[in-house]
Amino acid sequence: MPDLSTTWLGFPLKNPLVIGASPVGKSIRSCLEAEEKGAAAIVLHSLFEEQLVHEQMGAHYYIDTLTDMDAETRSVFPQSAIFPLDGAAYLRHIEKLKQKLTIPLIASLNGTTPGGWLSYAKSMASAGCDALELNLYEVATDEQKSSQYLEDQQLEIVSSVISAVSIPVNVKLSPFYTSLPYFVRRLYECGVQGVSVFNRYYQSDINPLTLEVDRHLHLSSSAELPLRLHALAILSSKMGLFYACTGGIHSGYDMAKAILAGAHVTQVVSAVLAKGFSVIEKFLQELKEYMLQMGYESIHEMRGVMNLSSVADPHSYERLNYAQMLAAWKLPLSP
Amino acid sequence: MWSGLFFGLGSDGTISANKMSLKIIGERTSLYTQGYFEYDSKKSGSMTVSHLRICDKPIRSTYRIVEADFIAVHDEKFFHTRDVLSAAKEGAILLVNTVREKEKFFSALPPSVQDTIFKIKLKVFLINAYAVAASMGLGRRINTIMQVCFFKLTPFLTIDEALEALKSHIEQTWGRRGREIVMRNVAGLELALAALEQLDYSQISREQTSGKLATTGENDFVSKVTIPLLRGMGDSLPVSTFPPDGSWPTGTAKLEKRQLATQIPVWQSELCVQCNFCVMICPHAAIRSKIVAPSEIKDPPENFSSLPVQFSEELASYHFVLAVAPEDCTGCGLCIEVCPARDRKMPKRKALVPQDFHTTLGPAKAEWEYFLSLPSVPVREIPPDRRTLVLREPLFEFPGACAGCGETPYIRLLTQLFGDHLVIANATGCSSIYGANLPTTPYTKNNEGQGPAWANSLFEDNAEFGFGISLALAQKEREAFEKLRLLKDKIPPSLWHKVHEKGVGDLWAWQRRKAIQELALYLRDIGEESDFLNSLLPKSVWIIGGDGWAYDIGYGGLDHVLASRQKINILVLDTEVYSNTGGQASKATPLGAAAKFASSGKRTRKKDLGLLAMSYGHVYVAQIALQANSKHAVECFLEAASYPGPSLLLAHCPCIAHGYDLRLSPQQQKRAIASGMWPLYRYNPLLVEKGETPLILDSGKPTLDVAQYMENESRFTMVQLRDPEEYEKLIEMARLAVKQRYAYYEQLSHIHLPKES
Repeated sequence: MPDLSTTWLGFPLKNPLVIGASPVGKSIRSCLEAEEKGAAAIVLHSLFEEQLVHEQMGAHYYIDTLTDMDAETRSVFPQSAIFPLDGAAYLRHIEKLKQKLTIPLIASLNGTTPGGWLSYAKSMASAGCDALELNLYEVATDEQKSSQYLEDQQLEIVSSVISAVSIPVNVKLSPFYTSLPYFVRRLYECGVQGVSVFNRYYQSDINPLTLEVDRHLHLSSSAELPLRLHALAILSSKMGLFYACTGGIHSGYDMAKAILAGAHVTQVVSAVLAKGFSVIEKFLQELKEYMLQMGYESIHEMRGVMNLSSVADPHSYERLNYAQMLAAWKLPLSP
Repeated sequence: MWSGLFFGLGSDGTISANKMSLKIIGERTSLYTQGYFEYDSKKSGSMTVSHLRICDKPIRSTYRIVEADFIAVHDEKFFHTRDVLSAAKEGAILLVNTVREKEKFFSALPPSVQDTIFKIKLKVFLINAYAVAASMGLGRRINTIMQVCFFKLTPFLTIDEALEALKSHIEQTWGRRGREIVMRNVAGLELALAALEQLDYSQISREQTSGKLATTGENDFVSKVTIPLLRGMGDSLPVSTFPPDGSWPTGTAKLEKRQLATQIPVWQSELCVQCNFCVMICPHAAIRSKIVAPSEIKDPPENFSSLPVQFSEELASYHFVLAVAPEDCTGCGLCIEVCPARDRKMPKRKALVPQDFHTTLGPAKAEWEYFLSLPSVPVREIPPDRRTLVLREPLFEFPGACAGCGETPYIRLLTQLFGDHLVIANATGCSSIYGANLPTTPYTKNNEGQGPAWANSLFEDNAEFGFGISLALAQKEREAFEKLRLLKDKIPPSLWHKVHEKGVGDLWAWQRRKAIQELALYLRDIGEESDFLNSLLPKSVWIIGGDGWAYDIGYGGLDHVLASRQKINILVLDTEVYSNTGGQASKATPLGAAAKFASSGKRTRKKDLGLLAMSYGHVYVAQIALQANSKHAVECFLEAASYPGPSLLLAHCPCIAHGYDLRLSPQQQKRAIASGMWPLYRYNPLLVEKGETPLILDSGKPTLDVAQYMENESRFTMVQLRDPEEYEKLIEMARLAVKQRYAYYEQLSHIHLPKES
């Protein structure tokens, strides 16, 4: 039987299927079910600093402005102090999960201020999570801020978190860097243990009839995988980091592709959200069958065999046969 | 002895800040402190008065402050509504929160206030606390800002000591809820000190004064009783001025002109589609539309617009006009939220646009007064639907309810349907408070002097109270018909017939009233007594109350009334919590919601009052939600009113106690319906006789997960924050409750019951 075990962020894992940051992490019951069905690690849903600020100011507004309204209504809600805010619920959630799970638990954080990143990262580490995933989700809308400036800021945050905590730090990236390998090299130099490629975003759509912006997070499909494979193939050939493929894993074969491109683990979310936890066993079975078919004895053996330095034709990653592909495309002609 | 008076807006935090100041001074100095706090009963824009005494000897003064060394006016509009300086000592300090520039402040004060300031040489200090609070993202919560100014202007602590004490109290009060609130309030302290400035008025020439104290040309009672009470001078009135039978004139809320909004909607007529959604949803009847003959629009104010009526061919020759009562609008924003008309070239612009209150007030007031003066086309003959109904004059206007209140639109709608012959028995609760915020009431009358009669007895006996009224009126009507029967031979058959015609609605009421008048004249002419005909005037009796009354405290009586076969209408304004007394759980509180006495989330299902009523078989029951589906609500009101037996309308009312921005209540109410938490239905026993199923499920099968409804309201998310695992269990229980309830209703909606005949 092929050996599915792998290592990620320094943790030996029984297989390369990790539950990515998602609503799954919000519920203890679903985390336990994911573990039972075979997931090797769980990344919790992200704690968003802006959300915490929003929550605190919301509580301030909805609770404190409704006090002393009149003599009969001295307040409208139950004593507020017993409802923890400012991330306390998230931290307690980590503590509870750690008591129940045997697989590694990775907390995920998206900060907005340097102070926020640092203090939440420290609290998460002391709450007992095994590693941190920093979610560098940022939408650039300010035309005055250069890419260099934004990247420097991100690196500063990452290195301050690394120096403040003793657990491994993984960074979840967006695909939108002019030079992804350069940025990842700088992360590597900061002391990051691994990167996850790539974050998925809310797509702002437009409703042309109501003239409103629709925001939905659509579940991923396998069509999103090639962008990740391409990045993994390049990055894994250059820097000795732990790599996670996230976005577009919808079968054991998709897992195999990501591992071949250089991933240590694959993070699965959409498939679980759409079809339930049974997909975990199914994907692992498919991966096993693939390995048997190809004669790979372990994940270690197959990892990265299709990356930039091992692939037969590295050119195909570098220019993606772009000109050739375009030339081959036939335009539909009008009769 | 040092004495200070603080005039605050309810909910701006003045009282809690003053309590904190007294504690700080009491703990950190050897001085004695005393505080007394006055509230009024308005739910929005209420005024609080704090009386603070500080002395080096024990304080034994058991009366309100009559000589103050310090007066703080936390909202400058109080200068126009109250005599805030009546207790000021010579040379006292006056601290004012004003949005006006320093140069323009003095001239905007009423002349009497200017005179007092000059005469007793007040030291005037100004701060724009709203601007400081807004810059720190604290909304209009100005308490710590005004508080640090108080310490700066008084000798009890050095400013450094005061800052240190305030910071530690802020940390103590809000620290557990997170660093953001603490940080913003602390930063606000320094900003406040920088923004505080003294006003030198010695050089201001008195000719510059331009302000006026509001005056009214109202009748004797209003000027002798209502106005002094409004100005806070009720304690000086002798008991003999009050009506001995407890009855008060209606149509008085409009005298208040509370000016609560910071922004008011301005109509962009070229975008308007005349849907009337804004008028339907307005909790304060502060935005209205009318149909007028174009020939009546003479000398309109500048920018006054009107549009040819688009929604009815019969009315196409008339014009549609819309106006906002700027001084009565609370600025809740619901009208703008529900407006469906967008500018296709600038989508953020709708047919209603929010604009700054102060700059818009002048023209908006002129338009409003002009609008009121325009005669409406007679609308009672237009068949009522959700659009045409709100063209009728509301006889409930400008209540002191919260901005965005979900209850008041139902009452306003009721007065548009039956207002000129409406009799209301009101249970104690929010609706009795804003229904009679003495000395004013939002119930009013039309040009012919007709309007609702309203009374509140107690909390627990309202159904019986209304039932008694209804029985008494019916008995008097029976007796009158009996007297009339003796005169049958003397009355022309057509007139006899007109007086005996049965019906419902204001068209019928109007015709009945005309017929009675005609008959009265006729009887007088033939030398017969006619006073008894008053008992034949049309009446529509409604019993109104909240869920605390209907589900809990008054349930026994409600059940008793439903069990009768008397023609009576009951409207339950269901906020799912005891709103008036501050959010205690009622049996209407949904599973999973936090409320007082259920702070970890209610673990039992909401009582199904509708189903209990249906079990009698002879009660008309409907569950409605006006913010999300006004068409359905109007239909149910009409059916309930015409139903010959008892009717029960259960009305979903968004409330501040749900913990979200009520501007978004139409969307949230849609979620309540779609998730099955608030299904819309009608149970009409008359359908049984037609061979149809009596229960109609108007909102169909739930399409949204209850969790997606719950996640938008703090009353649920509080439970989640406190214990996510427990919350998950509660969500599961709520899901099951919705499924079971729907399955049950679904089966009922297919059952054909045997007919009576």
